Amino acid sequence: MSEHDVSFDAMGSHVRLLIGEPGPAMETAEEAAAGARRFVAEFDAALSRFKPGSELCALNADRRERVPASALMRAAVKAGLTAAERSGGLVDPTLADEIEAAGYLESRSGMEGVPLADALAAAPPRRPAAPATAARWREIEVDDDGGTISRPPGVRFDTGGAGKGLAADLIAARLSGYSRFVVDCGGDIRIGGADAANHPYSISVEHPLSGRRPYVLRLRGGAVATSGLNVRIWRDDDGRYMHHLLDPASGEPAWTGLIGVTALGATAVEAETLAKAALLSGPARGRELLAATGGLLVHDSGRVERAGSLSVRPRMRLPEPAGAAR
Amino acid sequence: MTESSRPRRPGFGPVLWGSVALFALLFVLLTYQLAAATEPEPRPVVQRKVIKRRVVTTVVPSPGAPVESGGEPAESSSPSEAPPVETAPPVEAAPPVTTSAS
Repeated sequence: MSEHDVSFDAMGSHVRLLIGEPGPAMETAEEAAAGARRFVAEFDAALSRFKPGSELCALNADRRERVPASALMRAAVKAGLTAAERSGGLVDPTLADEIEAAGYLESRSGMEGVPLADALAAAPPRRPAAPATAARWREIEVDDDGGTISRPPGVRFDTGGAGKGLAADLIAARLSGYSRFVVDCGGDIRIGGADAANHPYSISVEHPLSGRRPYVLRLRGGAVATSGLNVRIWRDDDGRYMHHLLDPASGEPAWTGLIGVTALGATAVEAETLAKAALLSGPARGRELLAATGGLLVHDSGRVERAGSLSVRPRMRLPEPAGAAR
Repeated sequence: MTESSRPRRPGFGPVLWGSVALFALLFVLLTYQLAAATEPEPRPVVQRKVIKRRVVTTVVPSPGAPVESGGEPAESSSPSEAPPVETAPPVEAAPPVTTSAS
């Protein structure tokens, strides 16, 4: 049961691929990994908000109402609209202006953040986020037959809400013939292959405060994604703590009582959407959102709450205390 | 001069009945011992947990980088039907596939 394991940086994150044995007449795992890496580079070049030459930047700057768009661009916009629809507008792909106003003007990859604990101490009272009343995302239309995207000029699209999940799903589609595989696009993970059902993958979940990995999920397929405040967090010129998960109703960073959510889903886009929507919703509603597929909620205090299927605790064992081993 | 007489051989009957009597005596003795014997107390089995400790040396990107250990308290919330996932303490694998915010 050999696997090709390759890691590289892309999309402002870390990407890792584990690819098992190829099917008949398929390219080797090494060749598939190289192809996937090229695809990620193309994906990033086309859909990055931080690359002035990207198709996304061209779309956002275009003053026409209907704009020709590549299949990849249309897929990204459709994924964003699906996320918005699924979350009732909480995961809003049209908050590009607001995120830039908050200070997220360039990729924060490699930038040193600020301690989340300090930000939580200074954060405003907690309350659930709410969808924007304008719901600009409802004005976006994708026409695959015509190869165009329509939206009122000035409505800017941001792939940030579903970009990495979409990349993971698209790479997973390329690897569907392999015995087993993991596609990890910055923590948005897709798992597949017939052999994964027999020998599940162990996926560690990182705690947003401690950085430790207190839980391991054994997955036989599907996807898992995590959304949290511990990365891409900074202080603006006024010293206010800011992060990248915005409350669509206010356009400001959301402080809901949750600092991290891990969600399971059939696809990485679904898992990523659920994780973001649950975090933005706060503990009560977030718990409900994860009830169907399962997940973990991390409260401001650092307490981890299991939701949905993960609350069954089929084989839960806490690590033994230090010194127990002799 | 006297001529020493050869000792007389025991007859068939005494030898036969003597053998039978000796056999019966030993048989009864052993049977009694077997019946009177009690089961020995089972010896306690010493269970030793062999814990293999591995020191994994990696390039640490920054001070205070995450380490794989420890546990967090967890609480149950709404129950649901059994999923194809399980939770368990971290396994030793280098490096593990990790989901985290990015």
